[in-house]
Amino acid sequence: MKQNKITIVFTIGIIVLILSVIVSITYGAKAVGLSDIIDGIFGRNTDSFNANVVAARIPRTIFGLIAGASLSIAGVLMQSITRNPIADPSILGVNTGASLFIVIGIAFFNIQSKIAYMGIAFVGALITALFVYNLASLGNGGATPIKLAISGAAVSNALTSLISIFVMPDSSVMTTFRFWQIGSIGGTTNTDILLLLPFTIAAIVISLMLSNNLDTMLLSEETAKALGLNIGLTRGIAAICGVILCSTTTALAGPISFIGLMIPHLIRAIVGSNHKILILSSGIYGGAILIISDVLGRILGRPGELESGIMTALIGAPVFIYLIRKAKLQSL
Amino acid sequence: MKDNILIANDIVAGYGDNTIIDGINLKIPPHKISVILGSNGSGKSTMLKTFCRLLTPQSGSIVLNDKSLQEMKNKDIAKSIGLLPQNSVAPEGITVAELVTRGRFPYRKFMCSLTAEDYTAVKEAMEAMKICDLADRSIDELSGGQRQRVFIALALAQQTDILFLDEPTTFLDIAYQIEILDLLKELNRKKKTTIVMVLHDINLSSKYADYIFAMKNGKLIKEGSPSDIITSQTIEEIYGLKSVVITDPVSCSPMIIPISSHDDLTNVS
Repeated sequence: MKQNKITIVFTIGIIVLILSVIVSITYGAKAVGLSDIIDGIFGRNTDSFNANVVAARIPRTIFGLIAGASLSIAGVLMQSITRNPIADPSILGVNTGASLFIVIGIAFFNIQSKIAYMGIAFVGALITALFVYNLASLGNGGATPIKLAISGAAVSNALTSLISIFVMPDSSVMTTFRFWQIGSIGGTTNTDILLLLPFTIAAIVISLMLSNNLDTMLLSEETAKALGLNIGLTRGIAAICGVILCSTTTALAGPISFIGLMIPHLIRAIVGSNHKILILSSGIYGGAILIISDVLGRILGRPGELESGIMTALIGAPVFIYLIRKAKLQSL
Repeated sequence: MKDNILIANDIVAGYGDNTIIDGINLKIPPHKISVILGSNGSGKSTMLKTFCRLLTPQSGSIVLNDKSLQEMKNKDIAKSIGLLPQNSVAPEGITVAELVTRGRFPYRKFMCSLTAEDYTAVKEAMEAMKICDLADRSIDELSGGQRQRVFIALALAQQTDILFLDEPTTFLDIAYQIEILDLLKELNRKKKTTIVMVLHDINLSSKYADYIFAMKNGKLIKEGSPSDIITSQTIEEIYGLKSVVITDPVSCSPMIIPISSHDDLTNVS
């Protein structure tokens, strides 16, 4: 029964993913036919204009897939580590932390290479995650959903102001920053993807290896300890994986919100809380949804385009409101 | 079957700078049901947590078969000592069978799927707690008594020779309390599992325990069989409560009748 459900979820996910990839390559300011896509992928007929359009859309699509999967899996990890249904890289302010450090990097250290962006984003994200979590743990009851959301929002706002402080006075920083922030998933190249991929794959593989531990961690802390789980170590490794996944994505795409909240929550409601399945299916659906958001942005924003981050926020905000209301009712 | 001997040597334990347990020496009688009695704040739960290594003692050591728990690997301890904590939580929507399977964590090899032994252990645990017919139900739909049986089964799937339970009957009505304690007694008699519980109900302790540890203010003040411990004198010593002890007409174990300040004591001899 449950096994069937999981098989169905995977099958539908993969079909949706394949369709979204095809649509992402086909649609846009210029629509192309299926034969052009095949030509583009296999490098035939490279002179034709349509094949070049396809070739240009391929990195964008692949990056969308990686970014969506990374953010969703980061969401799964953060929700499990904090035992909190509304934890997500954007709500916890982690993505803003990554942004701030990138801005500082642009303004003061003149960083240019993508690897420097990723490194500095990782440091910023990690510091912010630790800070927000500790802030939310102050007072009674530990890091409850509401307190995490509030401290995440507060820190996020403060960091956004800091970003403005660094960006506003210097027009050259402003230009670089805007270029980075507006880049969305459209501005990526094959080189960027090759750079990103090892980190993403490593973090996802390690997360999957931790899935038994994460399953155990969702029981009470006392039960988990009595079962012999090293809670601190599991939490630490999972947090680093989560931060790697969201910060590297943010470094290349700019902040994309809500994917990490929405996808894991929906998937958890359907497949339950087995992390191996949760991580894999969140990855598949996250990739598909981000690609679809990107395509929608291209269609709705014609003749230009809407950033995929705006699209995910439009879809994700109502889900967030629903979740926070539910969490509030639970804690009362 | 080898005897797993669990001993507390001069345990001092507490939270932060706050010392709750102040120098306790005791040996858990193997293959018996022991109950730790004591007033609120006497350190019963702290003692239990120290035994399960949830809490590191400030000084002294817990020794399992001549080996200090501090020197053992987490998973090796988890194969010998199981625990039902006071508050158990489960992820939303998880099924009974899935939850019990999580008790196999200490046995699972890195990245491997469940083995035949895992399935057998889960099945036995569910049989012992009589929850096989609930296997595919979601934990959220169960009654309090059923949930508690599921969480005990989780600890049983761990296949430990020693099982600690922190107030397993709290929040359950009297029928469920007896049901849980009966199942635990059956487990003890059939599998010779050493059981150590914190209970609040003195009469139930007397009915089910082979051995009782009485604690007060972080010290062990008395230990022995129920008939040694359940006397009006010791009860007054532990709880500061006057009582009359009679014999339970059914189980013949001692039974206390608390004396209220409104009771008329002229009839009491």
